[in-house]
Amino acid sequence: MQMTDLIDIDEGTLSREIFSSEDIFRRELERVFVPAWSFVGHTSQLARGGDFFLSRVGPEPVIVTRDEPGAVHVLLNSCRHRGMPPCRYDSGNAAGFTCSYHGWSYGLDGALTGVPKLKERYQGRLEREKWGLIRARVCVYYGSIWATFDDALPSFEDYLGADMRFYLRTLLQGPDGDDDGYEVIGGIVKWQVPCNWKFGAENFAGDHYHGYSHISVERLSIGLSGKTSRHNFAAAKTPRQAMSVADPLRGHTIRASVYKALAAYDPQEGAPDAVNDYYRACHEARQRRLGDRSRLMIHGGVIFPNTHFNSAGRTTIGLWLPLGAGRTEVWRWLFVPRSAPDIVKDTLREYYLRYAGPAGMVEQDDMENWTAAQRGTEGMIARKYPFNFQLAMGLSRGAREDEWLGSEVTITEDVAEHNQRAFYAHWARLMAGA
Amino acid sequence: MTAPADRATALDALLLQVEVERFFSAESELLDERRFDEWLDLLHEDIRYWMPIARNMRFDRPETEYTRQGDEACWFDEGKDVLRKRVLQIQGGDHWAEEPRSRTTHLVANVRVEAAEGGDIAAKSRFVVSACRLDHDVDLFVGKRVDLLRREHGALKVLRRTIYLDQSVLLSRNLTTFF
Repeated sequence: MQMTDLIDIDEGTLSREIFSSEDIFRRELERVFVPAWSFVGHTSQLARGGDFFLSRVGPEPVIVTRDEPGAVHVLLNSCRHRGMPPCRYDSGNAAGFTCSYHGWSYGLDGALTGVPKLKERYQGRLEREKWGLIRARVCVYYGSIWATFDDALPSFEDYLGADMRFYLRTLLQGPDGDDDGYEVIGGIVKWQVPCNWKFGAENFAGDHYHGYSHISVERLSIGLSGKTSRHNFAAAKTPRQAMSVADPLRGHTIRASVYKALAAYDPQEGAPDAVNDYYRACHEARQRRLGDRSRLMIHGGVIFPNTHFNSAGRTTIGLWLPLGAGRTEVWRWLFVPRSAPDIVKDTLREYYLRYAGPAGMVEQDDMENWTAAQRGTEGMIARKYPFNFQLAMGLSRGAREDEWLGSEVTITEDVAEHNQRAFYAHWARLMAGA
Repeated sequence: MTAPADRATALDALLLQVEVERFFSAESELLDERRFDEWLDLLHEDIRYWMPIARNMRFDRPETEYTRQGDEACWFDEGKDVLRKRVLQIQGGDHWAEEPRSRTTHLVANVRVEAAEGGDIAAKSRFVVSACRLDHDVDLFVGKRVDLLRREHGALKVLRRTIYLDQSVLLSRNLTTFF
């Protein structure tokens, strides 16, 4: 399998085969998903010692725990004896986990703590310290929890790179610009889509172009107040420059806008006064805290390969979980600012529910389109003709006047497939074994 | 032999049972015939339409199995204003997840009137909803419903609807159907 036959970044073309071939999918699991750091959850889900929840690292099921001293662990949810998941509850609080098959028990840190008939039948020869749950490397980054099972991978900070550290830190700042400013709403939204995981990833990576998908919600005013456009930033009167930002070395991508001036808060029309009062105070606090950088608004993006997020007034983080070439499970965490009064949290929660996921009036049309696109990758004739990724090719700029946008990233302003090209170029390098 | 007073009470209960079952059947008919405006008319202006998300939790924490209303992530947790927008979205011809339209069949069964006080009637039921669209897509939604109906000017309206879907991870790409 030659990657050069499948993808031509200079021409902006990509074989449909990469979405439908099971051979390519199996190779992705090994070459793209193993050497990757993945978002697994948030520290607000682990308030107390003994708290745990289930998550995934690529296709691998994991338990995320907080032990009694307070350390966060990410453990492969697979008993070392016969592979059963020792934890079968989505979340809870426990002293440890006991496999339901033969009763092997593990602590919150994964240590093998109990084995039936240890003395009598293993005759003291079972080396318990070698048979704990497989532990992932863990990094807690401004409240978000990340994990990988690849010992050869650089640290999470180096995996992000300096520029993406800035963007991810900004994403996790509350609307007032304070670090680690969010908490997760209870209940993770999980659903399956009959399409390849990359349709979701490339859409979140950089699709400023698919406004047509969502024309129905533009006429219905489903924004924060339920009385304006689906995007809260539509209320802002200050001109802004939309841009696609990509780290070409690492494949991470950001959709962003930069406002052309530091301006006063523009209220969300129709929102309760208490909501506007909160966001006005946050807007001013953020400007004081971040100065010129508060002109940046992150719309969303992808930490390579499958951690995706939306922002710009709707902070959600999710995973595209690969089930097969043509099937993806999506997990989505919904965030509200820690510092917000209940009325803001309630308003945001209702906004998320009518916007995002399979019951969301916006994302329903994404899922429909990706499903249909998947079918377009399956025919033997259709597969002879590549997809087109030529939007705004050659219009990228390297460095910009706003040096804080980063020195390693490349940027294309306005609508572009800049980020998708960066995403697939990195994907192709990994698939080629680079 | 039933005493006349008991018989009258039993008959009242039977009539109410039939009225509620007919109401749910008529509602299903409106949805399956895509007469969404008329369906909206059956909903109380203050309706809370709620479908929580099912989680897999320990046996001794049953209260956490479904996400909480007004607080946690849910499939739906909304009032009539949003439901009205969902109808307008489907009716516009530009909501691709429902264009072309799905063909739905709503079955409501095991209807039990739990309580009737004043004008309010609490009823439990089971539902099977089949939604087919395009050439191959079949979605099947099965679960339990708890309704609070309120009689206003002689007509029943849905004041609270709780929809407990049996699935945890939603195995369908979309929930564009009303329950």
